[in-house]
Amino acid sequence: MRTLVFIPAWNEEDSVADVIADVRASIPGADLLVIDDGSVDATDERAREAGALVASLPFNQGLGAALQTGYLHALREGYEACAHLDADGQHPPAEVARLLEEIYADRADLVIGSRYRDPGKAESDDYKPTISRRIGIGVFRFFLTLATRQRFTDTTSGMRAANRRVMAMFSERYSPDFAEIESLQLAVREGLRVEEVPVRMLERAGGSSFLTPVRSAFFIFKGLIVLLVGQFRPRHVGASER
Amino acid sequence: MSVLVLAASQSPKVHLTSQTRIIAAILALAFMALVLELIRRNRLQERFSVVWFVAGLGMLIGAAFPGLLSLVADAMGVRDTNVALFSIVLLFLLGLALNFSVTMSRQATQITRLAQEQALEKAREQASSGENGSEAKRERLQS
Repeated sequence: MRTLVFIPAWNEEDSVADVIADVRASIPGADLLVIDDGSVDATDERAREAGALVASLPFNQGLGAALQTGYLHALREGYEACAHLDADGQHPPAEVARLLEEIYADRADLVIGSRYRDPGKAESDDYKPTISRRIGIGVFRFFLTLATRQRFTDTTSGMRAANRRVMAMFSERYSPDFAEIESLQLAVREGLRVEEVPVRMLERAGGSSFLTPVRSAFFIFKGLIVLLVGQFRPRHVGASER
Repeated sequence: MSVLVLAASQSPKVHLTSQTRIIAAILALAFMALVLELIRRNRLQERFSVVWFVAGLGMLIGAAFPGLLSLVADAMGVRDTNVALFSIVLLFLLGLALNFSVTMSRQATQITRLAQEQALEKAREQASSGENGSEAKRERLQS
C-alpha cells in the first residue's frame, strides 16, 4: 500500500535529520514529507540534506496547519495510508510502523499511538510528566471520553496513522488551534473507527516543550471550550471518501 | 458618535439647540466624506463601506430630526432617550465587532490554505527536480 510518512517540524534542526534516517530504516516502503512550519533555523535544509521532501510553510502556522498540509498532500497524491510523528525524536519510527499495520489490516480508520501502556495511569515506565501536565492529561482524558464515549488515554499524541477517509476529512476540517483533541472528537463524531495502540516513546532529543504552568492552564481552558463547541458542530456524514 | 455625545448631555426630552444640531450634522457629513475618501484611495473596499454609510446617515438623520429619537425610545418602552440611544449604538458596534471576527476567521483559514498550497507546490518542484525526490524513490521501489 502506498504510504506517506510526514513529519511536522518547527525549529528542529538538531533532531530532524536523525528522525528522517530512522523513518527510512524502520518504514522502508514509505515516502517521506517534512512539513517545515515556518522554522527560523535550518530545519528545512537539514531535512533536504537528509533526502526528505520538504514542504516549507512561509510562516509559522501552528501544528494543526502543518499536519493538515501533510494530510492534504497524502490525499492529493493518492496515498492509501499515511502516518505522522514528531520531529523531536520522541517517537520511534518502529512504533509508527506498528500503527500503520492497523491501517493496512483495515482494523481502524485512525490509529493513535498512546504512550501509556497501562490505560489507567497518567504515567508510564518511560514517561513521568510534571504535576501540571498530569492534571491536563487527566482533564482532557475525562472530557474527551465524555464527549466521544470512547476511552482515550493519550489525547495529545502526535503519533498517528490514518487511511483515506481520515485524509479527506482532516484536509478539509482541522482546527489550527487545537488539532490533537478536536480531531479525535471530530473523527469519532463522523463515525470513523478510531483506535489507540500503546507505544513506546522516548525522551525528546532536541527542542523543549512549549508548556509552562500558566500556558498549561490556558491550554486546558481553551481545550475544554473547543470540546464543548465541538459537540454542537454539524455532522458531515458522507463527505468522507472511501 | 456626535449624536451620542449630544444626546447624552440632554434631558430625557430631546431638546437640541440649532447650534448643536449643526455641529452634529457637520460631523456626520465629515464622517461620510471620510468613508468616501477611503474608498477612493482604495483603503476601504466598497463592500465594507455600506455599514459605515448607514451609520453616517443615521447620525445625519438624528441631527436633522431629534424628535425621532424619542419616538424610537417610546417604541422600545424606554423612558430615557439617552438609554435608548446608548443601547442601539452599543448593540450596533457589538454586532459589527463580531462581524469583523467572523471575517478575520475566514481570512485566517484562507491564508493558511494559501500557505499550505504554496508549501506543497514547492515540495512538488523539489520532487520533480531532485534525484532523491519521492517520485524517483517510488519508482525504484516498484521496479
